[in-house]
Amino acid sequence: MSKENKSVPLEYSTEENELKIFGFWVFLGAEILLFATLFSVYFALVDRTGSGPIGKELFELPPVLVETFVLLTSSFLIGLGVHAMRIGRTKAMIVFYILTLVLGAVFLGVEINEFLTYIHDGATIQTSAFMSSLMTLLGTHGAHVTFGLLWGSGILLQIKKRGLNAKTANKAFIFSLYWHFLDVVWIFIFSFVYLKGVL
Amino acid sequence: MKELFPKEHVMGFIGSLVLTLAALTVVMFKGMSNGVALTILIVTAAAQALVQLVLFMHIGETEDKKSLYITIIYSVLVGLITVFGTLLAMVWGYM
Repeated sequence: MSKENKSVPLEYSTEENELKIFGFWVFLGAEILLFATLFSVYFALVDRTGSGPIGKELFELPPVLVETFVLLTSSFLIGLGVHAMRIGRTKAMIVFYILTLVLGAVFLGVEINEFLTYIHDGATIQTSAFMSSLMTLLGTHGAHVTFGLLWGSGILLQIKKRGLNAKTANKAFIFSLYWHFLDVVWIFIFSFVYLKGVL
Repeated sequence: MKELFPKEHVMGFIGSLVLTLAALTVVMFKGMSNGVALTILIVTAAAQALVQLVLFMHIGETEDKKSLYITIIYSVLVGLITVFGTLLAMVWGYM
């Protein structure tokens, strides 16, 4: 590992760290395209409802609003976590990260419940092209959140075991980028799937 | 305690809440035309994305920010071409 640069935050302090953060931004670029293609599919198939329900009949705003505010808050909290990490308040950082993950779990719980309601109402992934594209888009986002919960928990365990150093701080920061990105994707789902769907 | 809540982040959070409420106006007011509603949704969603990118993800904080901007702008551009290209070929052409 190259020498540490003390003038920048810990997560950027080695050349390897800088490159890892840059590489993660490039990965996020690829993620933007993944979700762009899923949105394209959804927009192309949104009216192909066959004998199944249309969005207006299917979507319920209250749980979607809960999901939106929960995810916005968790994105804010992980931002505070990174800030706490930079001013050397490791304990506060860990608390913020735990709260972030708890809210992530709440989001996932509401979303799973939403899926179960759809299925209970007889709208499954096989019902229509609309349902297939909707569940693929929502499911891909939900799978990302699920993976994020596991990833974030792993990073927290590592920080607990090894303390905050150039390596663990780098991982924690990269995870925060991932989490903010998932929030951005959700905002687009909230606006162009749910709100547009009930117009 | 206060140093744990930097102004920039708190403002960003309030901003994202306000933008969410602004987006909600499209379903609260009946009789809004679809064009106006979609414009509001596009503007608020884009603003939300910028709040996250700039205030929370600090995209412009390092020396390699130029490369980061190019990477993200290029991805967004290809993403938009994918979305609107699909709409053009598969939806609008049949209306």
